[in-house]
Amino acid sequence: MPSAIPPPPPSLTTYLRSLEDTPLDKSITTLISLLKRRQIRSSRSCALATTKLLIAVVEAGSPDSSHNTWSSTSALITRIRQVGRKLISAQPKEIVIGNIVRRVLGVIREVADRDSETGNAADLSGSEISGPTSPVTGERSVLPMRLSEFSSRDVLSGRPGTADSIASSTFSAPMAGPPTQQQRPNLMNAPTGTSLFSILQHPQQNPSRSTSSPYATPPAGTQSPALRPSPTSKSTISNAEAGGESLDIKAEVLDGLAELLDELSVVDSQIAESALEHIHSGEVILTHGSSRTVQRFLLTAAGKKRKFTVFVAESYPNDHSATHDTLVNGAQPPVSPDDEGLGGEKGRWRGLTAAGVTVVLVPDMAVFALMPRVNKVLLSPHAVMANGSLLAAAGTEGICLAAKEHRVPVVVLAGVYKLSPVYPFDEEGMVEYGDPSKVVGFAEDGRFVDGVDIVNPLSDFVGAEGVGLYVTNLGGCAPSYLYRVVGDHYRGEDVDLGVEEAGSRV
Amino acid sequence: MSEKVSSAAQAQMAEEPKLSPAELKKRAKAEKQARRAAQKEQEGAPAIPPPTANGVPHGQASQHDEVRQEKKAKIVQAKSVQQSKSSGSQESKGERVAPSSAQSLPARGKTTVAAKEEAKVDSTVVELLSHLYPIQRRANMSGVSKDVHPAVLALGLQISSYEICGSSARCIAMLHAFKEAIHAYTTPRDTSLPRHLVSHYLSPQIEYLRSCRPLAESMGNAIRWLKKLIIEIDPDKPEHEAKNLLSEEIDRFIHERIVVTDQAIAASASKQIREGSVVLTYAKSNIVQKTILQAHAQGTRFRVIVVDSRPLFEGKRLATSLMHAGLEVEYVPFSGLAHVVKDATLVLLGAHSMLSNGRLQSRIGTASVALRAHIADVPVIVCCESVKFAGKVALDSIVLNELAPPEELLLPPSHAPIVPTNTKDTPEAAESNKTKTLHDWASIPNLQLLNPMYDITPAEYIRMVICEYGSVPPSSVPVVHRLANEGM
Repeated sequence: MPSAIPPPPPSLTTYLRSLEDTPLDKSITTLISLLKRRQIRSSRSCALATTKLLIAVVEAGSPDSSHNTWSSTSALITRIRQVGRKLISAQPKEIVIGNIVRRVLGVIREVADRDSETGNAADLSGSEISGPTSPVTGERSVLPMRLSEFSSRDVLSGRPGTADSIASSTFSAPMAGPPTQQQRPNLMNAPTGTSLFSILQHPQQNPSRSTSSPYATPPAGTQSPALRPSPTSKSTISNAEAGGESLDIKAEVLDGLAELLDELSVVDSQIAESALEHIHSGEVILTHGSSRTVQRFLLTAAGKKRKFTVFVAESYPNDHSATHDTLVNGAQPPVSPDDEGLGGEKGRWRGLTAAGVTVVLVPDMAVFALMPRVNKVLLSPHAVMANGSLLAAAGTEGICLAAKEHRVPVVVLAGVYKLSPVYPFDEEGMVEYGDPSKVVGFAEDGRFVDGVDIVNPLSDFVGAEGVGLYVTNLGGCAPSYLYRVVGDHYRGEDVDLGVEEAGSRV
Repeated sequence: MSEKVSSAAQAQMAEEPKLSPAELKKRAKAEKQARRAAQKEQEGAPAIPPPTANGVPHGQASQHDEVRQEKKAKIVQAKSVQQSKSSGSQESKGERVAPSSAQSLPARGKTTVAAKEEAKVDSTVVELLSHLYPIQRRANMSGVSKDVHPAVLALGLQISSYEICGSSARCIAMLHAFKEAIHAYTTPRDTSLPRHLVSHYLSPQIEYLRSCRPLAESMGNAIRWLKKLIIEIDPDKPEHEAKNLLSEEIDRFIHERIVVTDQAIAASASKQIREGSVVLTYAKSNIVQKTILQAHAQGTRFRVIVVDSRPLFEGKRLATSLMHAGLEVEYVPFSGLAHVVKDATLVLLGAHSMLSNGRLQSRIGTASVALRAHIADVPVIVCCESVKFAGKVALDSIVLNELAPPEELLLPPSHAPIVPTNTKDTPEAAESNKTKTLHDWASIPNLQLLNPMYDITPAEYIRMVICEYGSVPPSSVPVVHRLANEGM
């Protein structure tokens, strides 16, 4: 007898649950159709699904080998690029997919650098580095030669080889030969990115102090998890020469990806850590839509007994029912990677009203009228571009312009996974359009739908001058600083994936 | 006593049969006072409990007197709560309070209940705009003075329900209704028409209209003109001649200052629409509609973009009528503004009123449209008759505004689907009574809904104002106002 309850519609949770059981090709195709049909919609959901799928790709191993291992990082890179291209083409306007693919590629390249360092002694040309660096104590980092190749995560992680690999590409390296083998343990413990001279000077310093780079904004302990070294990496490096390198690649890459997954689940709470710096008693805050990041941010401030008022613009016609639901019942917690999907009503966060915050729901048109009384505007975008501009829900541009007119600061809350290295050459091409029947339905007024052009844009592109401050999970920064955060997380050679994306000129 | 408790809302009805005529008279007086208190409550004054001297049929102790008066005060409040707040939860609260309060004897307990009810009622008031409360809308005719003419009664309900919407439309409808009312008027014997008509006949009509919806600026100017006209009538003129004169003058006013003016403005503004223009307009303005139709009738080929607002969706009506006229129309919700301004070559806006500091008061959202167009360097032209020009000034949209009932923001349940979550596998979750909808907003503390109707657009965003005196910059508004509205 067929079940009376229909199967749940395909969504992020069903997809995540199915990942373990289904073969990889089917998983890839399923995600592509979920993206095409927009059954997975928000940035975070797409990021989560993409990360999980790419983890599965790495776990499945090389298609042309009998065991599920990877013989070389370049094969893995090619495979990820191939899968990544398919995913991006499925939904080119979802920028976050491209971001995740590039992050994964960055992790792999990092592993590759480490392995090329362990495998090829010729790369060790640390003495050449002493030119541009000052031979001081281990707390100073190397000035990057080329931004795209510099990755402060390698510097901060204390991995010995990376600074050398930069040098190896910029300078011709003499053979260092046998001395490097003995220095191996010292280099692993070496302080971050210093010259070989100071490595010899301070062999025992703890490499895990992460406050060395003057370029990274995060205080200790709050950098992106993907940047920190995995605890097992050191031991595997020492096994590298013994062979079984392919096992290392897979394990190390999976470690890096696990940290990326971790980052996705803690991003909201990390952003919310800055809440008390920005929200104080008696303030009037304006926000837009039902973003969970913003709800978490406000709840954190409300939890510390700060009394403030929030005007919420309901974002009609695309997000208004979710906004109403969030205000009345509290936000739904986001799907976590190992979610069984049974959170339901019990799992809902506390509502802002229950936390003592006065919440006023206003229609989107009232934003300009109320702006003279607003102290801050809080927004959460779909994606952020490297030049500080952002892609957010439709209506955001009106809010930012009104805020600029009234000199009200606009604070944008965005995790680093939303930050894209792609420069938005084609701004109009980035806007996604949605279902016009949400504006006027055909059943409601067929003649009208027939005779009139109805347009329902889902997103707005806002230039960098509309934003005052970005609060990421690594801390706050001005729009002009974002390009450095981009440089920290992505590699230059990954920016062009060979597929047409939103924002790129054809 | 218990019978009176059970029928608290109709306390005056439930009576024991044995009552002297004197006591009946006392009851009638108490009812009248309760009604007056209810009216005052509607206007926002706190409910004054009726004096303790009367209304006690059984001659009980003074404590019982107080009990009864407090019960009446609660009834009064319950009634007024029922009238002024249309949401069901408030109603039930009011009814619940009245019987339970009568059962508890100490008067002090009841006042705190009354105070709590006041506080609950007030928590739906957004503090920033507290000067705009209570919200003036009317769904019935309770408490209306007997002098109000039926035509005006009908008009008030039509205005309150947005059947007649738009400041020119309301002004014309009001003047027609006043014409009928004046026609039905007879001067009392010991006074003359100019002295009596305004203060004793027209004033209650105006008060009633004000209780249905705050008066538009055009209506205010028309009333001032009419009052001045009436007062200047020769007292020796026979009544029927005076009434005819008033009728003719009202017709002339409508014709000159609205109908012909609209034609002139449409002719002038339609010259701004050139071949290949893309005209953007917001919500629905009658004058802008006339302009567009005139330009279309002249054969210019252009297309129109209509941006709509919520909750009235007036733009949809404009788009429909333009579509029927054969124009190419693009219709976007307010969120699509950024997308369409790129294509626009001209923005035409209507007005509720033009203020003397050059600012435009128009439908909420107009300021955003004008700002966006200004940034994109698209000219913004306002079409406005001089009857809408005001002597007021305002610096922001909060000082002069009108609030509509927040319930208008609620969407019918079919349009607001349950947000699909990852847990809706079981139907029981959907029926869980813990899930509230926005319709329960009044019962959620700290949650408020705000539905302002107008906003003020700064003068810098407006390129030109077209009125019957010509095309003027926004800074010339006080000059035109003095000329047209005060120099008459």
